[in-house]
Amino acid sequence: MSRSILITGANGALGLAIAEYFLTKEADCRVFLGVRERRDRAEELAARFADRAELITLEITSPEAWKTALAEIAGKGTPLGVLINNAGFHEDALLANMSADQWSRVLDANLNAVFHGCQAVLQGMMRERQGRIINISSLSAISSPAGQTNYAAAKAGVIGLTQSLSKEAARMGITVNAVCPGYIEGGLPADWTPEHLKALKMQLPMRRFAKPAEVAAAVFFLASAEASYITGSTLKIDGGLL
Amino acid sequence: MPTRQRLKVLLISELMLDMKEDEIGDDTPLFGPAGIGLDSVDALQVVVMIEKNFGFKMADQEQAKRVLHSVNTIAEALEKQAA
Repeated sequence: MSRSILITGANGALGLAIAEYFLTKEADCRVFLGVRERRDRAEELAARFADRAELITLEITSPEAWKTALAEIAGKGTPLGVLINNAGFHEDALLANMSADQWSRVLDANLNAVFHGCQAVLQGMMRERQGRIINISSLSAISSPAGQTNYAAAKAGVIGLTQSLSKEAARMGITVNAVCPGYIEGGLPADWTPEHLKALKMQLPMRRFAKPAEVAAAVFFLASAEASYITGSTLKIDGGLL
Repeated sequence: MPTRQRLKVLLISELMLDMKEDEIGDDTPLFGPAGIGLDSVDALQVVVMIEKNFGFKMADQEQAKRVLHSVNTIAEALEKQAA
């Protein structure tokens, strides 16, 4: 049966790769690319798969926006089978210097938004008695680097939410899993210098960053029928870094 | 199929209960150790199941608590709605 896939943060490197992976590997799926202001790359992808991919405006921190977006998806006729909570950002600072706003913004976008998304899709998935939720956490949830108290706490919260929700939803045919990517090509801060990147690669067991498609492949697997007994899991995709 | 029997069939299939219809008495409490032993996750599912199959929507948690006590209380609520 065909299904709809909703990916938040679909204008970023990983969101785009996940969308493209689904569009390429699952011929009859419809992909909704959740975006906000920045949408140029998502538009390009949607143009390439015009009959099966489309943009959907979604302010992930707003429960109302989720309702509107899901009503729009429902109106297209293909039930939402997969939610990928991928959107997020970090705003690093040492805790001693971090403003309360910096803390709240990062928690809102990376953790509260995942709560809103899961809550919004849950009832529809319960009705269908099937569904896949994949939450993109981060290696920072596990390694908790200095300067990321807000981001590390939010992403660790995503893992906790994932594990707890997986128990609530298991009997309803819904699986909930988290993925913790490490460094991804195209997903690194633009102001990192080539020297910095080179030094960073030297610390990685594989001496290279992940290709976005390598993370997308894992997400695709977790959304597949073959992963039907995997729920509440956290999959680290870091080239052996941790 | 009579409503009570249909409810039992649905409860067993939707909640994946390892029991037969005749093991669920009409007045057997659905929740707690004295009854079938359903939990709060099951309750959420039963609410959705009733809405999906009978078009009955719970007004609030208090009503859900009353209605979901047993097969009989659910059936009575459905019959009241149909009347």
